[in-house]
Order: sequence, then C-alpha cells, then structure tokens
Amino acid sequence: MKHEITDQGGALIVSFIGDVDLQTSPEARNVLLECVAKGRSILVDLSKVGYIDSSGVASLVESFQKAKKSGQNLVLVSVSDGALRVLKLARLDKVFTICDTLEDGLAAVG
Amino acid sequence: MADVASNPTYDQLELLSEMGRDFASSLDIQAALERAVSHITDYVEAEGGALFLLDEEGSTLTCHACVGATDIIGLTLPSDQGIVGRCVQNDKSEIVRDVQSDPNFYGKFDEKTGYTTRSILCATLSVKDQRIGAIELINKRTGDHLFEDSDLRLLESMSASAALAIHNARMAEALVEQERFARELELAAEIQRSLLPERGDDDFPIHGINIPARTVSGDFYDFFQMEDGRICFNLGDVSGKGMNAALLMAKTASLFRCLGKTVHQPGKLLSRINQEICETAARGMFVTMIVGIYNPRTGIIRFANAGHEPPLFFDTSGDVSSFPADAPPAGISPYLVGDEGYPEEELQLDGGAFYIFTDGVTEGYLADGSEMGVDGLTDILHAGKSQLTASRLNEVVKKIDLGAGPLRDDITILAIDDGTRVQKKLNPETPKTQVIDLDDGDEDELVQIDIPSRADRLRLVRSAVTQAGELCDFDGELVQNVVIAVDEALQNVIRHAYGNHPGGEIKITISRTASKFIVHIRDYADSIDVSKVKPRDLGDIKPGGLGTHFIREVMDEVTFLPTPDERGNLLRMVKQVG
Repeated sequence: MKHEITDQGGALIVSFIGDVDLQTSPEARNVLLECVAKGRSILVDLSKVGYIDSSGVASLVESFQKAKKSGQNLVLVSVSDGALRVLKLARLDKVFTICDTLEDGLAAVG
Repeated sequence: MADVASNPTYDQLELLSEMGRDFASSLDIQAALERAVSHITDYVEAEGGALFLLDEEGSTLTCHACVGATDIIGLTLPSDQGIVGRCVQNDKSEIVRDVQSDPNFYGKFDEKTGYTTRSILCATLSVKDQRIGAIELINKRTGDHLFEDSDLRLLESMSASAALAIHNARMAEALVEQERFARELELAAEIQRSLLPERGDDDFPIHGINIPARTVSGDFYDFFQMEDGRICFNLGDVSGKGMNAALLMAKTASLFRCLGKTVHQPGKLLSRINQEICETAARGMFVTMIVGIYNPRTGIIRFANAGHEPPLFFDTSGDVSSFPADAPPAGISPYLVGDEGYPEEELQLDGGAFYIFTDGVTEGYLADGSEMGVDGLTDILHAGKSQLTASRLNEVVKKIDLGAGPLRDDITILAIDDGTRVQKKLNPETPKTQVIDLDDGDEDELVQIDIPSRADRLRLVRSAVTQAGELCDFDGELVQNVVIAVDEALQNVIRHAYGNHPGGEIKITISRTASKFIVHIRDYADSIDVSKVKPRDLGDIKPGGLGTHFIREVMDEVTFLPTPDERGNLLRMVKQVG
C-alpha cells in the first residue's frame, strides 16, 4: 500500500493506493491520525483501494471519531466497490459521509 | 325537565321518576346532580340548596352541586362538622328553624356574603346502610322564610330516591371502569403471551408451558437458537403476583432476549440481567431464574441458577439428580456475585432430559387435594418417558387441578430433551422432515495453502481464494465476500491464536461441492474458547472487533470442528452458491 497527501485549498486529500489490510493498516492509521492532528478537513480517497479489511475500517473509524471530536470533517470520496462492500458489511456506509467525486467531497466539507 | 319549576301542578311522583331517569340515562353524574338539586330546591320552594357527598373513607363531605345565593361547589368539610355533618353522622334528617343559635351552624359564609341563613332543612342520602351524603336546603322563599315539617317530609322522600339514583349511577360507572380494566388486563396478557417463544417442531429439543394463575403471569420462559446452532434458554419466576410481577416479568424477559444475543456465557448473562434489574426494579421484588445454553450437537448444557427451584435431570437409565442454586435471586443486589458472574454448571445430557419448573408446578394441587411435590412431578415425568417432550409436559399440567377457583400460582415448566439428538445419532438414516444439510456429493478440494502466521501473507491467500472462486465460475460478488471472511478468520488466527508470533503454522484448504464454497482453516495454537468468539454489537461504533461480525455476516455456516489430534483449532466456513 502507498499513500499520497495533497493540500487542496480548504482540505487535505489522503489517497491510499493498494490493499489496506492487517499488514498495512497500521501505516494507514498513522497517516490518517497525522492528518487529523493538523486540524484541517480531510478527504479520504479510496478509489484505488482494492481491498480493505476490518483493521483498515477500524483506522478509518478511529480517525473519523477523532476528527469529529475536534470539529473537523472527515469525508470518504470515490470509494471503490471492494471498500464499499466492507463498509456496508460493517453498517458504516451510513455513518461516514461518502461522496462520489473529489469535487463533491470538497463541497461537502465546505 | 326545564319546565318543571314553572309548572306548579307538576306532580311530585313525576318529578321523582324524571330524576331517576335522568340519573340512569346520563353519562355525566355531575350534571345530573346539579339538575336534581335545582329541581328539588325549586320544588320545596327554598332559596338555596346544596348536595354534599361523602368521600370514599367517609371522612369528608364535599359539595358537588348547589343553587342559590352562595356558590359553594367544591367546599369540603370534615364529615362531622356543620349541620350537614351532624345529620350525616346521626343518619337522621333535620329541620333547623333557629339556625343562628345552632351550635353546629357555620356562620362564616353569611359573614362573607352578607346573606342571612334563617332556616335549614337537611336530609341524608343513604342506600341501605351505606351513607352517601346529604341534601341541604336554605331559607323558605315564602312567608317567614322558615321551613315546615311538611317540607322536611317532602325533601326526605325526594332525597331517598336521589340517593338510590346516585348509588346506581356510581355502580354503573364502576362497572364500566371494571370492564375497561379487564380489557387492559387482557391486552397485557396478550403482550405477555407474545413474549413466550413459539412452539418448536415435535423433535425440537426444547419445549415449555406457561399457565398464568390470573390473567397475567409472573413466570416466564424463553429460548432461541444462536447463530452457531446452540440454543440459549431461560426460565424465571418473579416474586409476587399480579400486574407488578407481570411488568417485571416482561422486563426480565426482554433483557434475556436482548442481552442473550451478545452475552453467550450463562453466568455472565445472568449477572448482566441482575445488574439491570437491580438498577431499576421496585424495592423488594426479585426474580429467581435459570439461564443456560444447550448444544444440540454435543448434548452438553451449561447453566447458571439464581435462587431458583433446583432443576431435575433424568438420565437415560432413569436416575434423577437435582441441582440446587448456589447463588441468590436476581434483583436483590448487584454485588452478591463477582465479575466472573453467577457460578455455572456443565452437564452432559447424553440422551437424558433436563427439567426446569416453578413452584407453581410442585405446589400445585392434585385431584385428591394433595400437593404434587417434587416426587409427584418425578413420577409423572418417568411415566411419560416414551412420549414426545411436549406431551410429557402436558401430562404434568393435566395432573394439576386447574378446576374451580383461581390457581394458587403460575405454572411454568421447561424441558431440554437430549433424546432426539441421541435418537438421530443411532438412526442416522432416518429421513428428516426438513433437509437443511443437503448432501450434494463429496467435497472436491481445489487448493491447499500453508502459510506462516504473518500479516504480509494474507494477500496470497486472498488471491488464492479469488482464483479458486473464478475457477469454479462462482459469482464475483460472492467470491469477494468469501475473501473477506477468510481474510478476517486468518487475522483472528494470527492475532489471537498465535498472539502475533510470526512462526505459527496455518493450513488453508479450499474446496467445493455442487452447492457450496468451503474453506477450512487449521492452526496449531492453543485451543480457543469458542464461546468468546462472538460478533460485536454494531450499534457500538468503535474501532476493532469487527472481523468476527464480517465472518458471520458473510458465511452461511461457521463452525469450529474437533481437530483429529486434539491440537489447535479447525474452523469450517461454508458459503452456499447458486
């Protein structure tokens, strides 16, 4: 798994590329928590995530809750079919704000 | 009736019968009272009139209707005060011609209103020996404003029939109230019945019966099958009877249903129920109950007993053993049992039957007037050995005299009968009515992979499962779901069974039949406590613990099988295809 962080105006965009699984989720968690610590709105781009497991989902939930607590937005954008399947299994598809495109995501975090 | 007063020739009898009809047909007693006072006052030609009624205890008199100079509706006085109080106490009507010098006269109203009370007529209202109140008339309109003896006789005759009318109207009201209450009780009973589980098929191992002593019951039982096939059951008896017991029963039954879905250890489950009841139950009420889990594959039950009647176990040779409770009833104190929960007992039924019952059964009267007792119950259950479980329980209830009069106590009995399982094992070819485990040929092994217990090897397995699914031409979505389940199951092995040690050995076997996609995962770590592997509560959103939920959600069958050499764990997961 690799990741990219781009600063786009009001929000940080974190893109993960590859599988977020037991092996790679600790790294994904660190990346997400560091972004949350910067106090900005965050878009998590999951378009290139082929597989995400429960530990990956847990990292998303943890960052989401941290962000929410400090009044930041954390929005998922362009979620791949594989990742969406897992989010639905966890019944988290209604908990997260999920946007189809980056533009929608930027609009959502204002 | 409006023209009564304007018609001086109106006959007294006619007035009486009209008043009676008014009370009988009016749904509003208050309005009828006001009309009655008004007509009587007019008829006797008094300046004012008031009707007082005694409260239920007979300690106060309250004015319910009045006409004339002073409005005293709502005025309440002790039932022995004033001239009206004296009449009621003595149950004797009176004429007071010199009011101002009467020791019981209450002059405050005259002072306030500037009205002068000269003469009072007071007739008591009573039916048989029951005092209801009194009607008081003030000042004759004509002449010297003093009443005559003839006025008193007139008032007495009218008050007698007014008393009867009020009495009847009250009875009718009470009857309506009683019917409303009976209807509500019936609704409550219906809700209670809906809390009991539906009767299982004849060969279902658990059966129960509950017969309330009154409309609603303080006893309950319940059972439900958990996802792994084991059956969680309970039976309880709330102290006391009637509505409050029924409400606590409903609460406890709901707690069992709700908490039983996630807490799969009887002792812990009972302990959680106890804590919840202690937090909110009314003082002095408690619940004796037994909570247990029966495994229909192995015939083993584990149960915990909170102060309930000892359950009985009948083994196949006919020996009976009893299991007295080691712990107090639920609802008394959350501190009586430690964190580990209520003590549990484990029992291999081995074809025998386990009975839990309330004291309504053992204390039930037999036809000869004696109590059934534990011995009587044992005899009946022995005699019904060859019957179906449900019929055997019916026999017990039939022996209890349900006849005349209310039952002494609710009757509840639950049986966990392991006989069916053993029977099925002895005659495996017995055709089942419902074929669940369709035998569709031998399992065809697709691939076997051995990996070390390392997270970086999970991708290889995911890829293998995907490829195997594709090879079989299974639906892509279905295969991806199986990939998730296998991945999560392997994570559990790596993290929990091997405690993240990378040197463990894991063997994954992927196979298929005509209708199933099957994965076996074998490890060689210490055996895990299967009951601790449980899905998380999705209402509780926090990181971690999701994996097991995914597996249960995605796969049709998840079982831990015994390993051939009793080492490690063997997990079998099955997905139905097509």
